[in-house]
Amino acid sequence: MSSVLHLLFDIASVLILVFFFCINAFYILFCVLSLIGIFHYRNITTFISFKDVFRLPLVKPISIIAPAYNEEKTIIESVQSLLSLEYPLFEVIVVNDGSTDRTLEKLIRFFHLEKTRRVFRKIVEHKPVKGIYTSPFYPQLVVVDKVNGKKADANNAGLNIARYPLFCDVDSDSILEKDALLKMVRPFLENPEKTVAAGGIIRLSNGCVVRSGQVVSVGMPHSSLARFQVIEYFRAFLGGRTGMSMLKSLMIISGAFGVFRKDIALQCGGYRTDSLGEDMDLVVRMRKHLHERKIPFDIRFIPDPICWTEVPETLVSLARQRKRWHKGLIDILLHNISMLFNPRYGITGLLAMPFYFIFELLGPLIEVAGYVIFALCLIFRQLNSQFAILFFLVAVIMGTILSLLSILLEEYSTHRYPRLQDILIICLYSLLENFVFRQWLALVRAKAFWDYFKGKREWGVMEKKGFATAR
Amino acid sequence: MSPSLILVLYSLIFLLLFSASLFVFIISRRILLDRKQARSKRLYLRIEKDILESISLLNPEFTIRVAQKYKPQANVLTKVLLDYGNTITGEVRDQLRIIFNHVMKDRCLKGLSSIRTIRRLQSARLFINFFDPRQSVFLLRLLDDKPIVKLTVINALSRLPSAETFSYVFKAFEEDSGYTVRSYFNIMFSLGNRIEPLIKSYLRKPLSPEKLGLLIELVGAIPLLSLYEDIVEFASHPDKEIRIKVARSLGKLLIPKSVQTLIVLSSDEAWEVKAQAVKSLGKLRNQDTLDILGKSLFSPYWHVRYNAGYGLAEMGEAGLRRLKEVAAQDEDRYARDMSVMVLNDLIYSEAAA
Repeated sequence: MSSVLHLLFDIASVLILVFFFCINAFYILFCVLSLIGIFHYRNITTFISFKDVFRLPLVKPISIIAPAYNEEKTIIESVQSLLSLEYPLFEVIVVNDGSTDRTLEKLIRFFHLEKTRRVFRKIVEHKPVKGIYTSPFYPQLVVVDKVNGKKADANNAGLNIARYPLFCDVDSDSILEKDALLKMVRPFLENPEKTVAAGGIIRLSNGCVVRSGQVVSVGMPHSSLARFQVIEYFRAFLGGRTGMSMLKSLMIISGAFGVFRKDIALQCGGYRTDSLGEDMDLVVRMRKHLHERKIPFDIRFIPDPICWTEVPETLVSLARQRKRWHKGLIDILLHNISMLFNPRYGITGLLAMPFYFIFELLGPLIEVAGYVIFALCLIFRQLNSQFAILFFLVAVIMGTILSLLSILLEEYSTHRYPRLQDILIICLYSLLENFVFRQWLALVRAKAFWDYFKGKREWGVMEKKGFATAR
Repeated sequence: MSPSLILVLYSLIFLLLFSASLFVFIISRRILLDRKQARSKRLYLRIEKDILESISLLNPEFTIRVAQKYKPQANVLTKVLLDYGNTITGEVRDQLRIIFNHVMKDRCLKGLSSIRTIRRLQSARLFINFFDPRQSVFLLRLLDDKPIVKLTVINALSRLPSAETFSYVFKAFEEDSGYTVRSYFNIMFSLGNRIEPLIKSYLRKPLSPEKLGLLIELVGAIPLLSLYEDIVEFASHPDKEIRIKVARSLGKLLIPKSVQTLIVLSSDEAWEVKAQAVKSLGKLRNQDTLDILGKSLFSPYWHVRYNAGYGLAEMGEAGLRRLKEVAAQDEDRYARDMSVMVLNDLIYSEAAA
């Protein structure tokens, strides 16, 4: 019995070690590719004034779609930020997705909105629209009031109402930097036929000071939970997405900030309303659609246009958010399982899908399995304590190295944290996150499997503090 | 100690050293950069002060002395020159050119021959800010470079109002293919009506539909009224994209006699052409086309209805009357809703005015 148990533990340990080696190899590869990509981007854009894009007569107009659900604390600042963007021609469509708070009321009062009888084509399905509001003082603002149908449904309503060939999907609690659209539209200008979508970087607005819809002072969040997320976002956006974009296998464009070609999105049927990760779902379906029709395409991540967003600062909200993200990932990958290892879908089928499936989807389960095996080994006295301690330390240092590499990427790219003290804090937290936070997050994500297969598909609510405003 | 343990131990030591050096690198780089930035800022202010003085004195000798003084600090000087080069025009700009010629020109020329694309690109971009037309030969050899460098060069050449450089631009346009073709629109657009003879001759060449469409669109965008006859010929082109562009350009040229061509295009088999023709008819404000626009409000295509609605709004009193009539009928609710929306929009824009 003991030898069988020993063999089982050995097999499990080897599998976990192989997984550990592969996942870290991939992450290091992404970081190296990101470094190359960021250097290239920085060099190409040197001496380019993005204001020049303003003068180009062929710049395509953009419809900004901002779904809002119970955003009364941040909605005015966010819409002000969107209206103050520097771009030749754009419209802002705020879709009030049946908010139960004073979101619509605040919008009506602040922007002097009046109900209008605007007509639109219902190309993609969504819940009924109760009213469309426009303002004589802000002609590029349209507010759509509709029955609650969740974010994807609100996005679909926005897509139907959008007038322009490109649309930008943003969260209504986010703040875009003034020149974000000008930077984001560059791939659509350089390669208008092939570029179908582009994503920008998301940064944490927690700890920043906002004035008239713009971040005027960048600071470190005060909460430890938010500080851990600063590093996570660095790793995800600067390390992961830039690297994936370099490999032409980017599968996620954040729903908080992404620009898409409207015709392709509509051909794919718009957003899937029963998906919990509507942003990734759209990109995956766009990839599938274009691969199947053998249409060459490019989906890019640009490490420079910045969108600031508030992240959860309580364990409950963070757990809820991460569970939702992971349930979304499970749903999307299972929904498109036919693409996995399928050469018909090119690099998406052979690299992107397997990566997401093995490392992102199953990663938390394998990590939790590792902890369980560790505990069992301890109980059954099968543990090589020296090896276990050393392996744990290797894992901690490896995690820290990946975080430090992403901090280095931040330093080379946008360099938004001006104080040395901030960088020291981030470095410290990149070490600390390996104790408790990382394990807790793996457990939360692993629990998402349980919830998903039990049929729990609710979105949950995130408590908003609102932006810290400057006088 | 087992071999696996030794392996893990060595990995740990290596990773520990690597992470420590990475941390030291990040922090020391940041400290150095901060200091460098502070130094550069101080230097920038000093250079800025001297450059402003040379601009106000307009004395080339003084300017040369300023250039010589800051020659060792070429990077900061470049930044000042670029900042001022983008905002200053006219006679005072010559002082900046003197500094450029004394300090940066050689570096730039060397950079133009660099084997690194980025260096060539940056040098070309810097060079075009202050370059002397007589030195365009240095740029011409980059015309066979990668698309991004080539476009930068063409952009620079387009600043020279000479027939020779225009022909370079058009030759490159004819030879290029792929996504860079659209970039020529911006370059040619900036050349204005000086390129009219070239567009006329290229419209007669056997170009790809994409290039042909781009030239037709340019005729409307600049606008080149004398090329009206040349683009009207393409109104019956088999490619619908070309017909759309003809309709769009005619709406920009606003030549009254183009109404006939647009009426024909408004009954085109492709709805996209119809929509564009209806839009252009609205802009022409020819009262004889009221019926066509009114009928287009009942089109099964949303875009045609939309353009017809706003086209009627442009027609003035008669157009508004027609919109009100359609808004009052119940036979076609799509046409009615569109008219109501346009009328609503008009009320808003008047309120805003």
